[in-house]
Amino acid sequence: MLEIKNLHVAVDGKEILKGLSLRVDAGEVHAIMGPNGSGKSTLSYVLAGRAGYEITEGSITYRGEDLAALAPEARSAKGVFLAMQYPVEIPGVTTMMFLKSAINAQRRARGEAELDAVAVLKAVRKKAATLNVSEEMLKRALNVGFSGGEKKRLEILQMALFEPKLAILDETDSGLDIDALRLVAEGVNALRAPERAILLITHYQRLLDYIVPDRIHVLAKGRIVAEGGKELALELEAKGYEQIIKDAA
Amino acid sequence: MTVALPTRRVEEWKYSDLARALGDAGFGEVSARAVAGPVPQGVEVFLLDEPNRPEWVKAHYGKLPANSVSAVSLAKASGGVALRVHKNKHIEAPLALDFTGQGHVRALLVLDEGASLTLVERCDPAETRNTGFEIVLGRNARLDHVRIAPNSSAVQVEEVSMTLANDAQYRAHFANFGAKLSRLELAIALAGAGAGVDLSGVSVLSGSAHADVTTDVTHVVGHTQSVQLFKKVVAGGAQAIYQGKVTVKPDADGSDSRQTAKALLLGPRAEADLKPELEILADDVKCAHGAAVGDLDADSLFYLKARGIPEKDARHLLLHAFLEDAVEGVANTDLREMVRGAVAHALDQVTA
Repeated sequence: MLEIKNLHVAVDGKEILKGLSLRVDAGEVHAIMGPNGSGKSTLSYVLAGRAGYEITEGSITYRGEDLAALAPEARSAKGVFLAMQYPVEIPGVTTMMFLKSAINAQRRARGEAELDAVAVLKAVRKKAATLNVSEEMLKRALNVGFSGGEKKRLEILQMALFEPKLAILDETDSGLDIDALRLVAEGVNALRAPERAILLITHYQRLLDYIVPDRIHVLAKGRIVAEGGKELALELEAKGYEQIIKDAA
Repeated sequence: MTVALPTRRVEEWKYSDLARALGDAGFGEVSARAVAGPVPQGVEVFLLDEPNRPEWVKAHYGKLPANSVSAVSLAKASGGVALRVHKNKHIEAPLALDFTGQGHVRALLVLDEGASLTLVERCDPAETRNTGFEIVLGRNARLDHVRIAPNSSAVQVEEVSMTLANDAQYRAHFANFGAKLSRLELAIALAGAGAGVDLSGVSVLSGSAHADVTTDVTHVVGHTQSVQLFKKVVAGGAQAIYQGKVTVKPDADGSDSRQTAKALLLGPRAEADLKPELEILADDVKCAHGAAVGDLDADSLFYLKARGIPEKDARHLLLHAFLEDAVEGVANTDLREMVRGAVAHALDQVTA
């Protein structure tokens, strides 16, 4: 599904990722854990195609294709989804209108017929109910006045609607209380599927109590320094990043 | 009779070089026309080129202060229309008022006490025109005004001067898509306690279009309210201007004034000149103003693209969103959709 080889990425001329390699297969859930400043967000942005993240060396292959050569919207249409740490607020565009635009843009790009307003509304309502996203939220301007939990739930709602092949969740657990975290985790778990890969990017082990990964990678100073199964999270929790990074060196 | 047109040395005309845009031809010697749509019951119409002006026309025509260009139209216009809505008459269906042809033209609208009307003003973009429009709102009268000025390669100048009596309400939206030179000037006197104006406007400009909106709102007495929200999207080598002057007269305590002007510049040659100005001569007033010029937000653009929306559509969506709170100022649903349609069409040109 996703193969990253020796990836070097610079932002404003400063190298942030320094030879990161990672392979995620379909049906797997991987977690990338790391301290602040390790390059976690840079990895998520470079996978989604944000401008200003320059690949100076290495490659990202997604389903056999050079991902870096694609515009962000093309990645989305091909099944890459990034749930953002800080979803943007867009006054003047209702959430429902945004969802319809996004769904149909992706469908157009794939050569599929667009859905009319009724079909979109039906699809949205069905998924919204399980994520506790209210009708009222859908009528409001996108993310405007939403609480942290509401924003994250809306990200997961989009993930459920778009049915991506590769979902990247950037610090989806940050700013959530336990109830919201459980709801979001249930949403993510419901999307675990043999044809789908999920990459969780997180600072804390907490999220992994709810979404149990197949594999954990520890990111430090722009590289993967340790890897292991789900038990690595507990070790990290017990020892802290500093010790694990030291052990790995 | 010669009446001098303003030069750019006059501060209020700094951004709009009228003499240069008009050239030797000036506004011409013919007279433009004002045509009112099907006139509903309760509205009285008088054509200004006809003899025997009725008392209500005599009482109000040419009586409000006029700027120098409007003074020219008063001196030279031979035609136009006067409209009056009688006391306590509520006209439900919007009344259309079209300005067409070349030259000077005048219009007068009087709403008697307690009357209400929705007016849709349309400006034929084909020819160079100078429109002088006087509006008199009686006690507790209510006027909703929507003006749509399509893109024009001519010079189009209009002054709306207005006075509001106690508790009169004026709500207006001005959608302006630019001209060789386009100038809309609003001179509003809040002359009675409880009177209020709510002005909003959008401009979407591309190519070499120019659109100047200049407002001059005077809180003559206290307990009056004025709200202004003007949004502009400027592409190519176009130029958008907003000059908004609010004056609060001495003793006009309890006045409440807000004005906001924002512009998005979509290219290095696009220009926006936003100049809100406050002159407060009373003590107990609430006034706020602000102006901002910027570009589309990169985070928002990336968010939309990452969700599959192509660059062009994402820009279109964000521009639409930027203008939306001003468009929401149009109370009538059909008219609001009409403005949205005109805005969408203009945005297509800008994002193409």
